This record gives sequence, C-alpha cells and structure tokens, in this order.
Amino acid sequence: MFKKILIANRGEIAVRIMRTCKEMGIATVAVYSDADQQALHALEADEAVAIGPSEPSQSYLDIERIVAAVKQTGAEAVHPGYGFLAENADFAARCEREGIVFIGPPARVIRNLGDKIIARQIMQKGGVPIIPGMLETAQNPAAWLVHAEQIGFPLLIKAAAGGGGKGMRIVHHPGELAEACQAAAREAAAAFGDGTVYLEKFLPKSRHVEIQILADGQGHTIHLFERECSIQRRHQKIIEETPSPALTPALRAAMGRAAVAAARAAGYVNAGTVEFILDPEGRFYFLEVNTRLQVEHPITEMITGLDLVRHQIEIAAGRPLTLTQEEVHGRGHAIECRIYAEDPAQNFMPSPGRIAFLREPTGPGVRNDCGVYAGFEVPVEYDPILSKLVVHAETRELATRRMIRALASYAVLGVQTPIDFLLDVLASAPFQAGETYTDFIATHFADWSPDRKVLELAAIACVADAMAPKGRPAGRASEAAAHPGPWRTLNHWRL
Amino acid sequence: MDFRLKHKEETIALAVEASGEGGFAAAIGDRRVAVSFARISEHQMRLTVDGRQVLAFVAETPDGKAVMVDGRTFLLADERASGARPRSGAANGPKTVTPPMPAVVTQILVAQGQAVEKGQGLLVVSAMKMDTLLTAPFAGVVTRVNVAEGEKVAPKQVLVDIEPAAAEPAAGRAS
Repeated sequence: MFKKILIANRGEIAVRIMRTCKEMGIATVAVYSDADQQALHALEADEAVAIGPSEPSQSYLDIERIVAAVKQTGAEAVHPGYGFLAENADFAARCEREGIVFIGPPARVIRNLGDKIIARQIMQKGGVPIIPGMLETAQNPAAWLVHAEQIGFPLLIKAAAGGGGKGMRIVHHPGELAEACQAAAREAAAAFGDGTVYLEKFLPKSRHVEIQILADGQGHTIHLFERECSIQRRHQKIIEETPSPALTPALRAAMGRAAVAAARAAGYVNAGTVEFILDPEGRFYFLEVNTRLQVEHPITEMITGLDLVRHQIEIAAGRPLTLTQEEVHGRGHAIECRIYAEDPAQNFMPSPGRIAFLREPTGPGVRNDCGVYAGFEVPVEYDPILSKLVVHAETRELATRRMIRALASYAVLGVQTPIDFLLDVLASAPFQAGETYTDFIATHFADWSPDRKVLELAAIACVADAMAPKGRPAGRASEAAAHPGPWRTLNHWRL
Repeated sequence: MDFRLKHKEETIALAVEASGEGGFAAAIGDRRVAVSFARISEHQMRLTVDGRQVLAFVAETPDGKAVMVDGRTFLLADERASGARPRSGAANGPKTVTPPMPAVVTQILVAQGQAVEKGQGLLVVSAMKMDTLLTAPFAGVVTRVNVAEGEKVAPKQVLVDIEPAAAEPAAGRAS
C-alpha cells in the first residue's frame, strides 16, 4: 500500500479524501494556491505545498507544478478528487510516464470517454442503449439537416468535449438548426478548445439517473446501485438521492447490468459513474461516464456502507476487488444537499466572502462533508461549494424529514447559501411525491424568494443581540444584581 | 426606542420597550410580542418570544447583521431614516432618552435650549456597527445634553434631558 498520497484538489473533497487516507495509515500531502493558504485542506494535511497564484490555471490546473509537488514530497500516488485535473487525460498520462500512480482510470480510458462521440461509439458496440442520435460529427448545414430529420425534433446539440451544459442547445424547428449548430460550436470551441458538436434526440420529461461502478485491474466490475440527480440548476446538480424514486428492482438490475457493460466496453478501472437519462416510460439511455469520484458519492457510501475512496486507493494500488455483486446491499435512503456560497434568490449567483459563523448540523444519520470553517474567507476563484450535507434514514420519507431537520439547524453566516431554498424544495409536494425531473427547479421554483415567515423573529433576534452585552456569560444577570460587582458599578459597560 | 431594520427592499419597524434586564416588549406593526433573551456566546442568542424558545445565530457581516432563526438566514441593516417618527406602538413608549444597549455616541443632533418635537431624532448611538437613532419621547425643550460624541453609554443612562412642553402632545411646538 502507498505510504504517501498527494491530493491534487482543494476544499471539501480534499478534506474528505484525507480522512480515508488517515484511516488507512497513509500520509497526506495537500497543495494550495495563494488564496488557500488558510484553507481547511491545507491545514488538515500532514504536509502542505504551495503551488502558485490563486488563478487555477497557474496552480490547481498546472500539471508541472502538481508533478513537481509530488516529486518534492515523495508521494507515490495522486488523488485528483473531482474537477480541476480529475478528468484530464494528459495529466493521467503524465503521471503514468513519471511513475506516479494516478488514482483513477488509465489515461486512454479518460481520453476515450471524454469525447462524447467516441463514448457513444464504444457504448453502442458494447450493447449499451444510447440516446438516438449521431455517432459522428457533420461538416455542413445540409448534412446537419439530414441527421436532424432522421432523429426528429426537438433535438439537442451537444459538444463532443462538453460538460456543464456548455455548447448545449435545444432545437425545436429545422429553421433554427444551422444557426444553433454554429453557435454551439463556437461556444464549445471557446470552452474546451474543440468545437466538435453532434445531435441527439431531446428527451424533455426525463430524469438523470447514474450508476456507481467499481472495477479492479483484474477485470472484476460491480455496480453500487443508482443515484437520482435530477434536481439541477444551470445543468448542475443540487440535490441527489438514492435509491431513485423512479426505479423498480427490475429496472435497477437492468441499469446496473448496463453500467457494468459500459465499464467493460470502455476497459474501465477504478471508481466511475455511468450516467443515464431515464424517460417516463422507464427506458434508459447512456449519457456519459464520469471518470472520477463523483461529488455526490457520499449517498452511495451511506446506503452501501462502503468507503469509495478506500476502494479507489486499493484498486489503484493493484489490489483485487474482493467484493462481489451479491455482497453489495443498499439499506435505507440517503439524500445529499449541496451547500454552495450562492444566492438562490439572485439566480444562484455566487456569494463569496468571509464565513463569520458556522454551526454544522449533527445527529443520527447526518454527515456533513465540509471544506470551510468560521473565519475562512471563501475565495472568489473556485467552485463555491462549501459542504455537502448528507442524511441517511430508513425510508425516503424519513430521510426527507431528517434532511429538513438538519438543514434547519445549519447556520452559515457571512455568505449566502441555498439552505432556505433547499428547505422549501424538500418540503414541497412535488419533491415529496418523487416527481424529480431535470426541469424540477424551472417548473416549481423559478420565481422562488425567501420565506418571510420568520423575518420578524429574525428582527427581534437582531434587537436582542444589540441589547445583550457581549463578553458576559448568559444567566449571570440575577447574580450580578444580587452581588453588585464591576458589571453593575461600571454601568454594565464591558471591561 | 425605535429600530428600523432593513431587509432587502423592506423595512421592519420595531418599537421596543425594555422590560427589566434581559427582556423587552416589541411592537411590529399591529403585532406586540414579549421577548426575553440571554446571550449564550458571541454568536448565539437564546430568545423566548411569546413563550416560545428560539435559538438565534447572529454575526456581523459587511452587509449588515446576519441572523439565522429556524434555518432561515436574513441580512438586517439599520436604516437610519432621518426624521423617523415612532409608530403607533410607541405611543406609550419610554419617557427617557436612553440607549437600549451599551453603545458609543456617534452623533449628537440637538443642542441645549433647542425645542424638539415628539419623535425627533436627538442622537445616534452605535453598537457592534449597528447605528440606532434615539428620538424624543415627547415634545419639549432640551435642557441638557449629558454626553459627548465618542462617549460610551449604557442602558438606563439618561443621555438628554427634556423639559416637556406645556400642552404636550397637542401643541408639540415650543416657542
């Protein structure tokens, strides 16, 4: 087993990975940018290496600096977390050349699956259902139109190198097609340096359901059930749960088999996620493979009792996966809410700043993977995720109640968070009925504004705070009155 | 003692009357509540509002005071509206000019001998970055200003003495 691992990431995911490393007796190396000198991940590691300016391209995304930090500290392996270099095939290839173990799939697999057109070809060959659409790109408007009419409208333009909704367009009429393709290609070229786009059928009322897989280097592949991730804002997930309220045991088994087939077709090794679109008739289609640890992996850990990071590290160290499919059981229901520094009333605009006060929720079945602390200045340069609040309970209804209870006790002051928005979503009838489709927020919460019910109560608290002297413990007032001391003689003015 | 707290575009006006140490009565619009409070720590307050216990979390931020109750966080800032009049709830409000909390006098708006109307701003005190305008509880003439700007003051300390006008409140204006 490795003696030392460098975590090429920051924030909550770096902290979460370090926790497993510590449990495994593996020393941890953090890397940090100028903005993150005081960041929690840099404080929690056994060693911390400064890797440059706050600008991601000159620090967390700089392969040279990361490799130099690995060599400087003598780490044997790199865990990339999610985001940054996690799905960068060049970084994985560089690690392979340098004799550094990359905790993730081989560079070749990352490269193939990172190109959505190649991934679709691989899946089709492997017998995995794909969304009806193109298996190659096309070069001129006439060719686009031929493909479009085969697929039928509405359809979706997607970037081959895409992610995060960039380069994506919904097209309803043939007349919009040529212009939309060009616009999408421009956007993709700007975002990914690759303007290749393709067409596939748009499935309007659909769910996003993904399957967690684990594959070792000896060809043994299993799945760890699904995660329902339909509730999204700006094509980014905000609430995830498992099991999906939409899956029957038969459908779950079928999707699990398809995910394992997808992993095998791609030659997959390590932990990965096969994403599917599920239509209301229960038909599912391959969407993409995320070749890394997923943000929402904790909900799978909650229901299976497995530590995915531990399995990632063991697989990367060449150990066989001894777990069989029959040994994996899901118990109860888990929900994750992502706590971002953002303002849901202002279209989820980021809200960086100093965290003045933090009180994390706790209690039975509550886990908060947190990357910040009170006093920390949330940098403007990075993803605004502060923590992931995860709950586990016997049933979906109980997990929902538990999440509401946990959210209501979570105080993050100094930056805006979506906690009150999430409270309203969890309490809503469509969520409780399991009507979680990808258009959930647009359909039910487009014009959301904060609940004012307790605004007056907050105002009263504000007044009380102003009237209560600081620096004096509670419950001492009567004592002070009985025994006039400095508090009283100095006219209640604090010393 | 009037507070005008701004939350986004709206203003919550509270007419607050201290009721002994660690308690006050507040009028918010037509609503009247009895509040007792104790500070648990710098950022935690224990409140009892009309018999219901509430934990509140409070922190100063550059945009105002962040207050969380029942999982809902609000940014509240003091609105120092000049010429602010007390609301109807303050009709039987305090009869002396005294700060509701330990504070620093940041601005004195009146001078000795000056005639003031009921509700006229007399001075501004500041505590934990929150400014509060103290207003005249009745019409009259300022007979003495007991404090200077920058001075630390505490509840019950009378900051301005006012001689009530003879025909208060109807006449209002002392000649």
